[in-house]
Amino acid sequence: MAKFRLLPDEQLARSPVRQLWREFSRHHSAVAGLLLFIIFFLLALMSPLISPHDPYLQNDTLLLLPPSWSEQGLVQYPFGTDDLGRDLFSRLLVGARYTFGIAIITVLGALIMGLLLGTLAGMSKGVKSSIFNHVLDLALTIPSLLLAIIIVAILGPGLQNTTWAIMLALLPQFVHGIRNAIAEQLNQDYVVAYRLDGANNWQVFSRIIMPNIWERLTLMATMALSTATLDIAALGFLGLGAQAPSAEWGAIIGDSLDLIYIAPVSVAVPGLLIFMAVLSVNLVGDGLRNAAKKRREN
Amino acid sequence: MILYLLRRMFLLAFVFIALSIFAFSLGYLFPGEPLQNFTGLRHISAEQLPLLQQEYRMEQGYIAQYLAYLGRIFSGNWALSFSSQQPLLQEMQMLMPATLELASYALLISFFIGIPIGIIAAIKPEGTLSKLISAVAVAGYSIPVFWWALLLIMLFSLALGWLPTAGRIGVLYEINHVTGFMLPDILLSGTAHRQEAMLNALRHLLLPTIVLATFPTTVMIRFTRDAMLDVWEQSYIKTARAKGLNRGQVLYRHALRNALLPVIRQIGLQFSTLITLAMITEVIFSWPGIGRWLIDSIYQRNYPAIQAGLLVISTLVITVNMLTEILHTVFNPLARKR
Amino acid sequence: MKPNHGHMSLYGFNRCTMSLLVCSISLLSGCKPPLPDTVRSGLVYCSEGSPETFNPQLVTSGTTIDAISQQLYDRLLEIDADTGELVPALAKSWQVSADGKTYLFTLRDDVQFHQTEYFSPSRPLQAEDVVFTFNRIMQRNHPFHRQGGGNYPFFQSVDWADLVDSVTADTPHQVRFKLSRPDSSFLSNIATDFAAILSAEYGALLVKSGQLSRMDSHPIGTGPFRFKEYQKDVLIRYYRHRNYWREPAKPEQLVFDIVPNNARRMAKLFTHECDVVAFPRVAELGLISKRPDVDVQESTSMNIGFWAFNTVKPPFDQVKVRQALAHAINRDAILQAVYFGHATAADSVLPPTSWAYNPNLAVQQYDPVKAKALLTEAGYPDGFSMDIWAMPVQRLYNPNALKMAELMQADLAQIGVRASIVSYEWNSFRRKLGSYEHDSVLIGWSADNADPDNFFRPLLSCSAALTGSNRANWCDETFDNLISQALLTADQKQRRSYYMAAQQYLAEQMPLLSIAHSQRFQAISSDIKGVRINPYGGIALANAVKDVK
Repeated sequence: MAKFRLLPDEQLARSPVRQLWREFSRHHSAVAGLLLFIIFFLLALMSPLISPHDPYLQNDTLLLLPPSWSEQGLVQYPFGTDDLGRDLFSRLLVGARYTFGIAIITVLGALIMGLLLGTLAGMSKGVKSSIFNHVLDLALTIPSLLLAIIIVAILGPGLQNTTWAIMLALLPQFVHGIRNAIAEQLNQDYVVAYRLDGANNWQVFSRIIMPNIWERLTLMATMALSTATLDIAALGFLGLGAQAPSAEWGAIIGDSLDLIYIAPVSVAVPGLLIFMAVLSVNLVGDGLRNAAKKRREN
Repeated sequence: MILYLLRRMFLLAFVFIALSIFAFSLGYLFPGEPLQNFTGLRHISAEQLPLLQQEYRMEQGYIAQYLAYLGRIFSGNWALSFSSQQPLLQEMQMLMPATLELASYALLISFFIGIPIGIIAAIKPEGTLSKLISAVAVAGYSIPVFWWALLLIMLFSLALGWLPTAGRIGVLYEINHVTGFMLPDILLSGTAHRQEAMLNALRHLLLPTIVLATFPTTVMIRFTRDAMLDVWEQSYIKTARAKGLNRGQVLYRHALRNALLPVIRQIGLQFSTLITLAMITEVIFSWPGIGRWLIDSIYQRNYPAIQAGLLVISTLVITVNMLTEILHTVFNPLARKR
Repeated sequence: MKPNHGHMSLYGFNRCTMSLLVCSISLLSGCKPPLPDTVRSGLVYCSEGSPETFNPQLVTSGTTIDAISQQLYDRLLEIDADTGELVPALAKSWQVSADGKTYLFTLRDDVQFHQTEYFSPSRPLQAEDVVFTFNRIMQRNHPFHRQGGGNYPFFQSVDWADLVDSVTADTPHQVRFKLSRPDSSFLSNIATDFAAILSAEYGALLVKSGQLSRMDSHPIGTGPFRFKEYQKDVLIRYYRHRNYWREPAKPEQLVFDIVPNNARRMAKLFTHECDVVAFPRVAELGLISKRPDVDVQESTSMNIGFWAFNTVKPPFDQVKVRQALAHAINRDAILQAVYFGHATAADSVLPPTSWAYNPNLAVQQYDPVKAKALLTEAGYPDGFSMDIWAMPVQRLYNPNALKMAELMQADLAQIGVRASIVSYEWNSFRRKLGSYEHDSVLIGWSADNADPDNFFRPLLSCSAALTGSNRANWCDETFDNLISQALLTADQKQRRSYYMAAQQYLAEQMPLLSIAHSQRFQAISSDIKGVRINPYGGIALANAVKDVK
């Protein structure tokens, strides 16, 4: 008998994070995604240290070297070189920093701004909030890439402008999500009770709201991260984002289009990397979503 | 209901005004002379200058200028394109159908393939088939559209030589622009090679449509599956099952109808995503649509074109969104209360 | 309608999958269909850019000339592609006066203008048309002179207005040109693609209807094809001119499919969406030659790719700076990386195949140390910042200017010069170049005729600097004298000595660094016969035949 009683107690006693992890780790795809995500993250952090060659060094004697698995390839250049003699492998490693790393930065930026605006919006009421909501709903219907293209069209092409553009483009969905989550929390009885205890706004926010919405925040952030990565790469590919000679993955594909016959590797591999990076984020996101749902059901 | 519609109309008008103010201010935000950005004239001669300044009310305040701008928008007197020096409105009228044609076929595919597959995936959520569908869906959801397009071109056009790589139809077919939609135009045209042309146009359509449909289809699969699973948990389904109906009957009579209602809402959301993805698809397949034109305008720093293109595309996206929302409300009285 | 909602879509789905399946099967099986009628009778030429106008008088750009000149128009004389000699065309014969200042052309009487939806000619070609054509260039009060900006870059660069006093019709079939001085390049210039003959009758019609601009947008000529439609950046459609005075063109329809992207052009060749492809990339020549269904045609071509300095802007106004920059560039690397070895290093702007080529010029050496020293002498020991403008399109003389610019950027960094690369869309690029907004530019020139003058005056003369086609913005009296002297005599030996001196002077002054003379290539579907590359200017497609199996 005791055995049956103990189990639910034990589960309840665990912290929410551990419960979440328990559910999360049951899905192999989610764990694989997380692993991949960590690899990409480390790559973005340390790529300049581990890349075997200078990714921008032009080597006149080694133009368009085929990948090392072909007969004319060299072991030192696993994916061969591009038409300016730069090592593709090193460029791809460093590219993680641009495509993936900058995506993370933009998402963090948008998250912080979103938290600020969303909190203000969520905690305020009345006409102001209604107008704000309408404007927000509008901005939400325009897809982030379109919004980013619009902003780049105004600011002009370039990686820095792309970063700002995507950050701004992601903002509405964060504000919207955070505002709704906070509004939902504020309606809960325990908030009212806490307020009656004499808690001020800040205490309500930090003690009750934050612990209750962080799960949603993480989910939102993963979704935004996959969007941001795809958008940065797409803008780079279109020549509106990172400019040559930058090693951003999308830009590498765009630059290599001319070489699609001679060096298909330089189109295929960067695309594969973008795909894997986005996939890893989406797998983690899906895993989190499922785990959160299961946890609440229990 | 009427009140609801009025409220929506009011919101739409408000949105359009906001967008047009934004588009108008771009004339000042873009580099270069505002008058050039507004007229689209590359060189304004000394004789033209005072006339234009008066017509565009450049010497009066911003509000007068904006009203003049609004007047020109409604009277169809749009600016010229910097690069071609042709009126932008006509230019866009020529290009818009190409984009809409591509986007609507992709949208249809995403519905007719995405929804059934989503339903199948929801029938046995833990089954192998269902897991396979989820895996494919998450892959399709993660794939960068331009890379996917290139892969397909590499395989079907370059390696196998089966399908063309660019354009809407072989350039040797001369099809007159009537509706702007290629397939109806071919049927309407009197050309002797109608059947040949039709086949040719379909072959041109195939790859871009597949590429463009990939993302919305996977979204539809995921959406339908989740909606079905949600409905499955509802008490009325449990009641129906308790009454002794079998799985198929429950699915058919109760679950499907309720799960598919939100799908209408998806049309609008998918449409805006499609328009964005269509830009990239059009660039890759040299599809002569509005997206490729807008991207080219950005390259060429064709400010009047960017300005007009943004206004038209965002208005279109938001209008379609609003319409589907209204449609959704018509079908679903519950949503009206919000 | 509500109760049936789910039912309907399930049902619809099945029907749709069926029809989709049927569709896709028929699509895929249609991969090797028998050639349809439209395709049999038509030819698709994939070109690298949109034409700027449909009147060859107004441009020098090779893209435009390729697309319009040989297809829509004829000239009084033509250049034989094999010998480089002048042969009769619209003019069946010509005479030169003893003082070399009067030319009399006798025209054919069987030349018909195009019959189109917008114009029906009432008479064949007459002397009046030739007068109309050339007066448009020379006379400021000509109704069409100001159309298209009033610039005639090729004619201005050869000083046409100053050279030709009058063009008159002696009889309906005889035209007299009176020159102010003898000019040994006059006939060659008359035979270039720019000297296309327009219709005076069409001009009169347009004046009457007040639609002057249509002259250059809806062209009427005498050439093998007539104009049908043009969609900017998409295509140009021509139909056969049935009453052509020579044998009518073989293709019923000729379409210029405009594909600026190299890889895409190549893809269209491989999928047979294009029959002939302009400028296949040299990097891919090996790949093309491996395929049985496409061939590569190669010919020597008179062209030069160069790096021009804006010699008016400091510090490029100093000879030492220009020399320093020239010495800093590793040209061999460029020949390998950009031209893939299919070009010869250029020591002069003139290709070695020209009779006036100077073989004794000092070869430009790659020498960063010397470059650095020269830079220090010029007062820039720490280098400076500059722009390299790289043209956005692929041209024969420079297949990849952006890549070349990236290579040069790295070279220049070694002598402390910080270069940034600038590029715009092609038409804006040319416009901005014309107003000399650049520091330096990677561009080039393809010859229109065999005369050496064609390399000097349009590129580097003072008159070219005025019209904006002198990319170095270089106006030098000594040089201008040399090349003008060379025109006054018809004696080839004497002319050669002037040109030798001019080349020597250029090598010292370095207004531009000559980089390479490239081979011209064209990729073509194996079932097409009868397309030849003309070493002087535009491509002729009238004799292309599709081999129907």
